[in-house]
Amino acid sequence: MGELTGAEALIESLKAEGAKHIFGIPGGAIIPVYDVLHRESAIRHILVRHEQAAAHAADGYARVLGRCGVCMATSGPGACNLTTGILNAYMDSSPVIAITGQVPTPALGTDAFQEADLLSIMMPITKHNFLVKSVDELAKVVRLAFKIAISGRPGPVHIDLPKDVQVSRAEVKIPPDVFHREKVKPDPDPKRIAEATSLIERAERPVILSGGGVIWSGASPELVELAELIGAPVVTSLMGKGSIPEDHPLALGMLGMHGRKAANIAVTECDLLLAIGTRFSDRSTGDVRYFAPKAKIIHIDVDPVEIEKLVKADVFIIADAKRALRALLEALKSKIKRGVESEWLKRVAQMRKDFAPQMDYDSVPIKPQRLMKELTGVLDENSIVVTEVGQCQMWAAHFYTVRKPRHFISSGGLGTMGFGFPASIGAKVAAPEQKVVDVAGDGSFLMNSQELATAVENKINVVVCILNNSYLGMVKQWQDLFYEKRRSQTYLGKTPNFVKLAEAYGAWGDQVTRPGEIASKLRDALECGKPAVLDVVIDPDEHVLPMVPAGGRLDRMITEA
Amino acid sequence: MKTRVFSVLCENVAGVMMRVSRCFTRRQINMDSVTVGIEPSGLARMIILFKADDQMTEFMRRIISRLEPIIDVQILEPKESIVREVSLLKTRRLTEVEMSNVIKRVQSAGGRILELKDGAIIAEVSGDHEEVEQLISSLGNDILKEVARSGQVYISKEI
Repeated sequence: MGELTGAEALIESLKAEGAKHIFGIPGGAIIPVYDVLHRESAIRHILVRHEQAAAHAADGYARVLGRCGVCMATSGPGACNLTTGILNAYMDSSPVIAITGQVPTPALGTDAFQEADLLSIMMPITKHNFLVKSVDELAKVVRLAFKIAISGRPGPVHIDLPKDVQVSRAEVKIPPDVFHREKVKPDPDPKRIAEATSLIERAERPVILSGGGVIWSGASPELVELAELIGAPVVTSLMGKGSIPEDHPLALGMLGMHGRKAANIAVTECDLLLAIGTRFSDRSTGDVRYFAPKAKIIHIDVDPVEIEKLVKADVFIIADAKRALRALLEALKSKIKRGVESEWLKRVAQMRKDFAPQMDYDSVPIKPQRLMKELTGVLDENSIVVTEVGQCQMWAAHFYTVRKPRHFISSGGLGTMGFGFPASIGAKVAAPEQKVVDVAGDGSFLMNSQELATAVENKINVVVCILNNSYLGMVKQWQDLFYEKRRSQTYLGKTPNFVKLAEAYGAWGDQVTRPGEIASKLRDALECGKPAVLDVVIDPDEHVLPMVPAGGRLDRMITEA
Repeated sequence: MKTRVFSVLCENVAGVMMRVSRCFTRRQINMDSVTVGIEPSGLARMIILFKADDQMTEFMRRIISRLEPIIDVQILEPKESIVREVSLLKTRRLTEVEMSNVIKRVQSAGGRILELKDGAIIAEVSGDHEEVEQLISSLGNDILKEVARSGQVYISKEI
């Protein structure tokens, strides 16, 4: 490759990894890198308006493509603004590569202008992080960073790059491969597969709990095949939503705090729970003492840390979900006849019918359930729904029907308000031919609404569908249910006028107040040829129900307000 | 709660101690003793003592094993290991009676006098944690001006 500056070596290394997009904002400590980007045509840089949005956009991009997303910022405040987005990616196991400028190495630790101790700050919120001290190691570090981010359980990796390293020169050779210690063998232990097989064979009421790990390992086809083979309904965590097409007769939807009643009851009644690529989050399990109380549990995860962290498994399999599922299919095919018409499946079908969510509301103000029904109708199976956090997110998770993996993107572990809009920008950049809708709340959207400028300037035509109830709705719901309706500091009022806000940025804006108008206005928004904001005025008193109170039992749901 | 011993083999790179120690901090576990040394291979070995139940110990083993620069984490059983701690003890200026008393105690504990200067003593003692602890507490705060302790090093007896 010859003699290169650190900045050139970085960009060449990113190209060697196949990176085509970077979301970021330049600043003093990373100008040399941006100077190289200025003449680079193989990488498109999308200038965002706040670094948090760069991290979320890279995260959304990564989740749609199943590859690393890259974000970039300057030192100090730029890098610190990335941190919420990086932690979000860490909690949800998303492979984001964050690159930040840093003060020159001689100035490290001197409280130099815009200096922050990023090596320390990023350590607990990344899978791994690097401070690059010379050009010689840069190409190797980038290669290693991408490898670490995507291997095993994915996660974000941070590279801190002091300015003097960016400008100093060295002979640079991009290594074809780098040594990376394999933490976990992806193939399952045959002994454990045999143990799991015998539990599955003996089960009368099996349930599969599918998490984000199924999506990351691309194991959806195997998941569906196994569910059909053993006659098990599939419930998903929030991160696992889409791992099975939700219109499949065995799909029971999301479980947990705001899960479907049928999903929660099925988990409570089952005699075998096959949990795959899931970490048993408290939002999924409720009180673990009453979680799947009658069931033997098989837990498959690629991260050994998740094994027996919260829920003790009768059999655990540390392996890649796809490979483990294939091994189970192989072992079970000869033993179980396809399409078993069991009593259990009859019970499951009955529950699906009895507990089908009610969505046909014609009332004004609009019920969010109705909006989700309309959204499911207007969008096709290739459309991507991204969500903000709070009530809007849980309504989408509960009522919107996802038909493919990687087509429902949400901030799960961290619950980051402001995630949805920038993540939808990342999703649209990753999949420009697909429709992308951010299901937003009025509170969440305002946390990163400045990214309308990014969307408009870069012609990234996403639709923000605001479920506008003038409240920080989920907090208000908790106040209504558990704090005797004292709505302390959750009323947001009628500010701003979201249509005018959209128009001020040069985006399309409109408001919907009647249920009959939802579908046509959604279509208008999707076809307007611009980024669009659809302000849907919803019932401010509506709660997300059913609900399992925090730490409560899954079979004890609050069903009415 | 029982004392646990980790023998952590890791790359000898800047920040690795912080990566390991913050895993303990986050779970509100105190590291009772930490020692680090470099092996002939160039890799570093940390010996870490802490208190935890079985479940937390296994969880911590997995958490630390997951870190990039970590190669291996072994849980050592005190009964199947050799344990040593080295301490350097500096006394205040002593009277002649005190001095002969200190020398006697150090020697009977298997220690060595390294330095006799201006009526003060610098001594070395090694042994398992209890042996070292016993000498230090028998000499006491009045006699000892400064104590430097190595922390406990463990090695498994398994060949």
